[in-house]
Amino acid sequence: MFKNESFIDFTIAENRARFAAMLLDVQKAIDAKTLEASPMVDGKKCGSGGTIPSLDPSNFDVTLGLVRLASDREAESALESTRSGATAWGNTDFERRAELCKKVGENLRRDRLFLAGLIVREAGKNWREADKDVCEAIDFCDFYAEEMLRLGPVKLTEDVPGEQNSTFYKPRGVCVVIAPWNFPLAIACGMTMAALVAGNAVILKPAEQTSLVADRLARAILDAGIPGNAFAFLPGLGEVIGRMLVLDPRVDMICFTGSKTVGLEIIRSAATVKSGQRSIKRVVAELGGKNGLIVDEDADLDEAVKSIIESAFGYSGQKCSACSRVIVVGDAYEPLLQRLCDATSDIIIGKAADCATFVGPLIDEEAQKRVKSVIAEGEKHSQLAFKGKAPEHGYFVPPTIFRDVDTDSPLWREEIFGPVIACRKATDFNEALALANDSEYALTGGVCSRSPRNIELAKRSFLVGNLYINRSITGALVCRQPFGGFRMSGVGSKAGGHDYLLQFMEPRTVSENTMRRGFAPEA
Amino acid sequence: MNTSATIEDKIQSFGRDVFVAIGEERPSTFNKNFWTGKIMEWSMSQPEFKVNMFRLVDVLPSLRSSAAIATHVNEYLSAAAANIHGLVEWGVNLKPDSFRAMLTSALVKKSVEQMAAQFIAGNDPHDALKQLKRLRKTGLAFTADLLGEFSVSEKEARHYVQRYLDALKVFGAEIPSWPEAKPLINGHPGEQTPVCISVKLSALYSQCHYMNFERSVTVLSERLGEIAAEAQRVRALIYVDAEDSANNPIIYETFKRVFSSAQFKDFPYPGIVVQAYAKASAQVLDDMLAFARKRGNPIAVRLVKGAYWDHETILSKQYNWPSPLFSKKESSDAQYELLSRTLIDAGDCVLPAFGSHNVRSLAHACCYAAERGRDASRFELQMLYGMAEPIARAFSSRGFLVRLYVPLGQMLPGMGYLVRRLLENTSNESFLRHTFFDAQQVEELLRAPKMLD
Repeated sequence: MFKNESFIDFTIAENRARFAAMLLDVQKAIDAKTLEASPMVDGKKCGSGGTIPSLDPSNFDVTLGLVRLASDREAESALESTRSGATAWGNTDFERRAELCKKVGENLRRDRLFLAGLIVREAGKNWREADKDVCEAIDFCDFYAEEMLRLGPVKLTEDVPGEQNSTFYKPRGVCVVIAPWNFPLAIACGMTMAALVAGNAVILKPAEQTSLVADRLARAILDAGIPGNAFAFLPGLGEVIGRMLVLDPRVDMICFTGSKTVGLEIIRSAATVKSGQRSIKRVVAELGGKNGLIVDEDADLDEAVKSIIESAFGYSGQKCSACSRVIVVGDAYEPLLQRLCDATSDIIIGKAADCATFVGPLIDEEAQKRVKSVIAEGEKHSQLAFKGKAPEHGYFVPPTIFRDVDTDSPLWREEIFGPVIACRKATDFNEALALANDSEYALTGGVCSRSPRNIELAKRSFLVGNLYINRSITGALVCRQPFGGFRMSGVGSKAGGHDYLLQFMEPRTVSENTMRRGFAPEA
Repeated sequence: MNTSATIEDKIQSFGRDVFVAIGEERPSTFNKNFWTGKIMEWSMSQPEFKVNMFRLVDVLPSLRSSAAIATHVNEYLSAAAANIHGLVEWGVNLKPDSFRAMLTSALVKKSVEQMAAQFIAGNDPHDALKQLKRLRKTGLAFTADLLGEFSVSEKEARHYVQRYLDALKVFGAEIPSWPEAKPLINGHPGEQTPVCISVKLSALYSQCHYMNFERSVTVLSERLGEIAAEAQRVRALIYVDAEDSANNPIIYETFKRVFSSAQFKDFPYPGIVVQAYAKASAQVLDDMLAFARKRGNPIAVRLVKGAYWDHETILSKQYNWPSPLFSKKESSDAQYELLSRTLIDAGDCVLPAFGSHNVRSLAHACCYAAERGRDASRFELQMLYGMAEPIARAFSSRGFLVRLYVPLGQMLPGMGYLVRRLLENTSNESFLRHTFFDAQQVEELLRAPKMLD
């Protein structure tokens, strides 16, 4: 059985003290201006494309460190370098690649407290969420290494006298990884390590908001001994560097996690074949969700309220898996809504670095403006049930709940990626399921119910990639809950699942006639 | 023969006497003439029925219509109905909207209410007075606990505080004037007043959480202080209940803060709970005894085995964390005896309260106390209301103070409590089950436990 990396047990006072001490270390590094991110091409540091500051979303007056951006020329070198490095890396024994992949995990594990601290500051995650981010990154390294060991050996497919058939996998070539900021370590690491362990050379373009964290990942990868021409790190602006990488004919595969708009654009441009291009670009894209949680009439409301708050407001709703629609069956609607609003008014909002914080800031000014305007628009067209208060001087947005939301409204249909819930009543469980399924997305969903029949019904017909029953709908664990959806929620199979690595490889089959002059070796 | 062997002999003979006193009497939970007894019997013989039955009991109070009840009865019990004839009375396999289903739904609800009434003394403090009076009349003391839902908001938490304040007012106005209010044992510190409450601390603050430790302790200290002030006014004793390992450090810290403050330094015998199933229980007890000495005024310590074993063990497995609890039931029993001795040896800084239904554990405590020359006015025994009446009577008639932990509250918040008690009673490890259902040999029931962890 796969063993997930254990979260820090924060119920133990010493563990909280250790984390607090480490946050002071991070602060010292910030004060000493030693935190930075730089492109790494061919194993060498560079970055002549200018610099941008990385700001603390909990207090935008604080610059955490400088991010040196890759220039176009450096991106070009990265493409050349990985193109040439891909062959040797792909020919490296899969056992060796798996070993190096595990070593990356080891490096992250050794540094796990500091990494979590950096995530607290740069991504604005609270302590527990930051720790889970690091654990998930380590899990990806361990899990994909084990997967490669499982998939690596050549398989003899049929046993017929005089004929030997074997199937095995080859890497695709150069894979561009475009990572999001919301799991700055875990998702960047998962996509990168899956591509690498499968034998591809990788160019990682991190999210500009969380480049400092990604820089640590890049170092962990190179320190493990993965060749500099098999892995390039290119911090830069998505519209510039990202676009250039996606369009380049030397790229065989693009692995992306982010918004639906950008994802569809990548898929469209990947379909355009340029001269000199060797393969049809394969795109794996994890996109958004508009995830619903159904509260059945017979649900345990204590548990339902807890699950909704955890799912909708954890990391301020900035998870693809976050709950943004709540559908309540029948007479449970009013009491649930009342308790949910009351409970929301008391949750602790503050700086991510404060131990007690449950809801931190949004990632940046743009996100804050966007979500605030979604709320303002919502207040015009829908009925506000609750709106909290948020601190100033960081990118905070108050947790907000709308009720009786119209099914045509943007609040009901569009991904918000902030601490906003749209609620609606359904007359019965079937109607609730229909409402939940009526979405262009199909990522996560949840049901709080104590009816065995309705739970069975949901398992069959609540059409989402990850369905959660009587619990929160976020926090999928590698291997235990392979993660990913369908419809507009993305293409490609589940991260942290047994099919994931296959997407990074091409199966090849060899059939050899072993009969010569009427004789064949015995099988 | 060395001294400890002598004590062991005394425990054995004491224990046998208790079993003789219990005789053929069964707690109502195990009496097969009643619904609860039947359900317990089926649950113990058919594990699958047990899961479904208890889930049905859990959901029942939140069902708003008879059709909903009928539907849930069908969904949970139709498979079991094939084997269990008595379930037909509950309307399994009836059409949910039929007239008969409506009638049987009422019956089901009534049956579960009756079941709950065995463990829960009333809907509110007024309602519970009758039962409390009955208890005192039969020579048993009580500590009242108010069942509450999980407080998701401050509104709910404050409401919960208010319920405690109201309960104290009602008890304070009514109980002291009863003829039954006079001490059951003269000079017993637990009998200086007949009124005693147990407080579930974490529900007094909606943001009580280990990540919010300081603030949790501050807010809970204020709110426990409000309750303690009212208790002081009406002359009531207080126990602060222990919970799971995540909340306990907050609870212990709050207890110490409140009862060492200038206002409550003299509060008589404030009670705290130590759970023997915790690997750290010896340190927790030492820490509490040190607190009592520093405080200068004695405290009460209720020693229990602990009620969150499954919950915590499951979570530890899910998170890959080492469990904070002993893995074997017998280890908790052994630890319980060790800590019983520490408590009795601790002298007058503490009033030991031995909370258990295990005749062996209690016999051990009573015999060790006698050995150390501590008579029945220097400690007490505590048991849960509705769980083990024959055992309570057997000890009480031998001159010990037995205090029952009496929950009161509405059906909805009470269901969680009821289901936990049912699970406890039907568990393979349950002493009560071994005694009253499995009819285990007395020698086995009284065997000295060993530390196996």
